Amino acid sequence: MEIEKDKIYSVSEFITVVNADLKWMKARIVGEVGEAKAGPTGHMYFTLKDEKDGTMLNCIMWSSKYRLFGITLEPGKKIVAYGAPEIYAPNGRLSFIADTIELAGEGDIKKQYDELKNKLAKEGLFDLENKRAIPKYPHKIGVITSKQGAVIHDFLNNIGKFGFDIKMIDSRVEGQGAVEDLLESIKTFRKKDIDVLVIIRGGGSMESLMPFNNELLVREVVGFPVPVLVGIGHDKDVPLVAMAADRSESTPTAVANLLNESWEQALLLLERFERKIFASYGLIFEKYKTIENKFKISLQNFKNNILNIGANLDKQMESYFTGFILLCDKTREKLNGIEKVVNLNNPERNLKLGYSIASVGGKIVRKTSDTKIGQDVNIKVSDGIIVSEVKEIK
Amino acid sequence: MAKETNNLNNNLKKLSEISDWFDNREEVDVEEGLAKVKEAVVLIKESKERLKQIENEFEEIKKEVEAKDDGK
Repeated sequence: MEIEKDKIYSVSEFITVVNADLKWMKARIVGEVGEAKAGPTGHMYFTLKDEKDGTMLNCIMWSSKYRLFGITLEPGKKIVAYGAPEIYAPNGRLSFIADTIELAGEGDIKKQYDELKNKLAKEGLFDLENKRAIPKYPHKIGVITSKQGAVIHDFLNNIGKFGFDIKMIDSRVEGQGAVEDLLESIKTFRKKDIDVLVIIRGGGSMESLMPFNNELLVREVVGFPVPVLVGIGHDKDVPLVAMAADRSESTPTAVANLLNESWEQALLLLERFERKIFASYGLIFEKYKTIENKFKISLQNFKNNILNIGANLDKQMESYFTGFILLCDKTREKLNGIEKVVNLNNPERNLKLGYSIASVGGKIVRKTSDTKIGQDVNIKVSDGIIVSEVKEIK
Repeated sequence: MAKETNNLNNNLKKLSEISDWFDNREEVDVEEGLAKVKEAVVLIKESKERLKQIENEFEEIKKEVEAKDDGK
């Protein structure tokens, strides 16, 4: 904001103008905590002292920010504060308003890590029995990571094509500013319908991973409504968030593989079932073929039986025919026999042969005593009757 | 057909009786014998014709049956 040379400002106006410019002077300042005092509302008032010449800077950290970082401001502790200067109107003093703080001394970082780890461990936040299983066949996945860098690409390249519904929230994952982002992201995901929450970032030094050693973040992870899967690369000291998570992997790729696992197993099972079903199906075909063959044989047998019956009928018919012909022949023989008998006994035939029949008074003459001398005898020959008289009987 | 078949049977029966009559005769009754002969001749002729007829019918049936068998 430009200062108007001809204008006379009131104190308040001037401080407002200066503060408007000062808020753009964001800086990271390293120093040793001198005095540190908490106000009645929890705001922290402290001084940062230059290590070399002892120059002092008044600092304020609002309680809403201070409680995020889990760092106790104590005299002698070396920290890096990030923020911007501001003139505090009530007393006119220049103060550095710290948005974030982080420990700067390596020993302090390790000490803070160990202390928090022990504290949270005592509370049981890392206990294995409290871990929830990553659900089988997860579908809706919430991912918290930075859009920048290779991590998200590694994750997405390795997550299988199982129809995952992935929702991602871009968050800073390095530097103390990351804590605020991470907490905000988790808060957002609390309201979303997801099966599992994934927090991933690449490897780094303990210092760069300090946001993941934040107490509030650890508690959020433990209290999150669905299982939390963390994939943070690390060297020696496991980030506390990873220890608190329901499952922890060391790389984004491993996290992706873990999410794939149950689906891949399901695929294998499906393939196995498929093979089994096809094998069983094949058996059914075999059985059907056997039944079909049996049926064909039965049909053939049936056909043979019919043919046999037919052949028998033919044979019987043949015998009927033969029998009938025999019957006809016998009848003819009988007729011929009778004809012969009749012919033999035909009186006309005998007359024609020269035999004649003599009769007296209608009686056939068989003996000499059947006639008397002088009687008329009728002699029947083939073509008529000769009437003659008995002259002599010898 | 049944009537004709019966006629053949009857004819055969009658012819048998005539045959027996001749076989068992003690006296020759020329007139009766002639009458029998005449009757027998007619019966024999009829019977032979009927027999021939039956045989022809049988041949027809046989042919029909064999034609059916060939067409199987």
